[in-house]
Amino acid sequence: MNESHGLAHDEHDPIHPAPTGFLRKYVFSEDHKVIAKQFIWLGLSFLLVGGTMAMMIRWQLANPGVPFPLIGRVVFSKSGGLISPAAYTSLFTMHGTIMIFWAITPIMIGGFGNFCIPLLIGARDMVFPKLNMFSFWMMFLATVILVVSFFVPMGAGAAGWTAYPTISTQMGTPGWGQTLWVVAIYFAGGSSIMGAVNYITTVIVLRAPGMGYFKMPLTVWGLWLTAILNALFIPVLAAGMLLLFLDRTFGTHFFVNGMAIKGGGDPILYQHLFWIFGHPEVYILILPVWGVVSDLTSFFARKPAFGYRVTALAMVAVCVLSAVVYGHHMYATGMSPLLGQGFMVLTMIISVPATVLFFNWLATLWRGKLQLKVPMLFTLGVVFVFGLGGLTGLYLADIPQDLYLHDTYFVVGHFHLTMAAAVFLGSFASIYFWFPKMFGRQMNPLLGKLHFVFSFIPLNLVFCGMLEVGFGGMQRRLYDPNVYGTFKHLLPVNRFISYSAFTLFFGQLFFVVNFFHSVFAGKRAEQNPWGVGTLEWANTTSPPPHHNYDVVPQVVNGPHEFNHPDVKDKDWLGQAEPLPDGADEKAASE
Amino acid sequence: MVTVLAHPSLAENRRALRAYVGMVVFLGAWGMTFASLFFSYAVIRVESATWPPDGAAPLPLALPALNTVLLGLSSFTMHRCLSSLRAGRPGLRWLFWTIALGAGFLALQLVVWKALHDRGLRADSGQYGSIFYTLTIFHALHVACGLIALLAIAPRVARGRFASGNTTAVRTCGMFWHFVDAVWVVTFVTVYLL
Repeated sequence: MNESHGLAHDEHDPIHPAPTGFLRKYVFSEDHKVIAKQFIWLGLSFLLVGGTMAMMIRWQLANPGVPFPLIGRVVFSKSGGLISPAAYTSLFTMHGTIMIFWAITPIMIGGFGNFCIPLLIGARDMVFPKLNMFSFWMMFLATVILVVSFFVPMGAGAAGWTAYPTISTQMGTPGWGQTLWVVAIYFAGGSSIMGAVNYITTVIVLRAPGMGYFKMPLTVWGLWLTAILNALFIPVLAAGMLLLFLDRTFGTHFFVNGMAIKGGGDPILYQHLFWIFGHPEVYILILPVWGVVSDLTSFFARKPAFGYRVTALAMVAVCVLSAVVYGHHMYATGMSPLLGQGFMVLTMIISVPATVLFFNWLATLWRGKLQLKVPMLFTLGVVFVFGLGGLTGLYLADIPQDLYLHDTYFVVGHFHLTMAAAVFLGSFASIYFWFPKMFGRQMNPLLGKLHFVFSFIPLNLVFCGMLEVGFGGMQRRLYDPNVYGTFKHLLPVNRFISYSAFTLFFGQLFFVVNFFHSVFAGKRAEQNPWGVGTLEWANTTSPPPHHNYDVVPQVVNGPHEFNHPDVKDKDWLGQAEPLPDGADEKAASE
Repeated sequence: MVTVLAHPSLAENRRALRAYVGMVVFLGAWGMTFASLFFSYAVIRVESATWPPDGAAPLPLALPALNTVLLGLSSFTMHRCLSSLRAGRPGLRWLFWTIALGAGFLALQLVVWKALHDRGLRADSGQYGSIFYTLTIFHALHVACGLIALLAIAPRVARGRFASGNTTAVRTCGMFWHFVDAVWVVTFVTVYLL
């Protein structure tokens, strides 16, 4: 391990020369920082699209049969602004698809994975810069296919984001929309695999001299483990999509129900393939945020992260366990009770490392000098919603309760709290935190705080409301729950959720204004505005030059050296900054 | 890892190490796709009342066995190509044989598919045909990709570009080729033998 460090860099050897032309610099760029921004722009744009779809879904649940205001007449022109059942099905399908594959994935993995990994480990770029560029452009291709799918006859995909057969075969969703959905997911997956190969290899071979695995910031740990899960499990999704594609276009019989067509077919096979991917996928989405939160709690509590190694190892444990629990998504498919029990126990075991993480965060905050700056507010938000979401997971892991809660809004509330709310707040924590490094400018803290208030409070009202209607028995994906007598009394709660959701949506305006204003006219940022010791802040300018580091730093410390007793003039110590008067390295490890 | 680092210059060391690690990670990921297809095969087979299903055309054994030999030989010639280049000898002859054997494999696959198709095994005639054609065609596409990669480096091998110990590209293509061969062995054993 140590030998490869010496091989990683030539002191004056950028991985590729700085581009000069506009196209190579901003469009077909091989620079990880530019690709990161491309991914973030893509992700934020689709966050808006997916968010708008969520508003349409909520509008239908609050005011069934009332035309959608403002843009309704344009989007649903055929029905005069009314959301038809078919459009509604399409909406929740594309909302899930877009939020997972076109918002969270590009922002956290494509964006911050690209931006943070090389910078935080002291590398000059990704190890395969061209592959990195192809990764973005393959995502772009997938995006084009996805957008086109909205405009084909019979509309976009409408089989839910899980695309279960037989709904997702030609019997359930005829037409090109669902086929293009499959193709778009396939290409988006290809993009993720390319990125993952790059990230994994970069962390293995390009760490700066002295940057051992247990000196990497936890952000890098989270992103790296995400990349490993991506590399292992996106191919399983790809296989499932391939078979689904063949079923739809070449008439093979993998999933088509045997009752309907001679020659058999097994819809459950798809569920296996999908969830073998799908369960790790939820950790793929949350791991980068866990990493960021583990770092930011320490940075803004001005004390070392509690149990750094244990946090890293807990994330590893979650990754390992995530591969063997997928059956808990299929309790209701009639699996053998013995198998179900196995999956139940394994699923509950995941809560052990997850709890370790959670209490490590709390212990990091404990008696720290908390600085409630904007990134920290969002970080604390993540800690709260993730704790809440994690607790609701225990109910769903338990078979007897899951059989009641299965396919209700309780599930929707649970995965939104963990996957959506936590990742949403975590993404904004990352954006506010690394914005000065990315654009060389500061964001406005007041607007940031307003953004936090208008995100955090409505977010919790929305998703806790969903837990409540779900516990009341309301199924997900219902076009109009009020036609069922049992759910009629839930309408006021549904209205409450919807109005909270609208508040959440419009609360994002604070961010939009702040973001655009700061990108173009924000106050110039200093090199290290937060006073932290990781390489990207301590050792290079804001924004960093094309090759990131003029001199590749020699790392001597861990990432969380705050209020070190031997450091007198400031409360932090750079990762590449030896202790004054030659105090030994031993003190640096934790 | 040790042999990777045994290259003459430091810069070349670094390139070789990066390419090696990257390719291992990539093949690990790609192996998961094939693993998923084999998993699907297993699920379908376990759930089927009889295997092969009643009335399905029996699979031939001779030609696929010959194909296994062809690909095995091609892995050997690929290895000889790389070791020749590393020893400073020209490797074009071995590369040529690798490409020829790979092309022969694809030709024989076409014969097998044609024969089975004529005997009534269709991709759309049921799960059995679906998984058989999907597995074998998906694999054959990878062989074709491997052939394209080998053809792409062939001119540089011919011009002796890799003679100086700078064999990273050949090694990387070779890794993919061995991977594809290994997948075929698993395919042969599960689909034709078991």
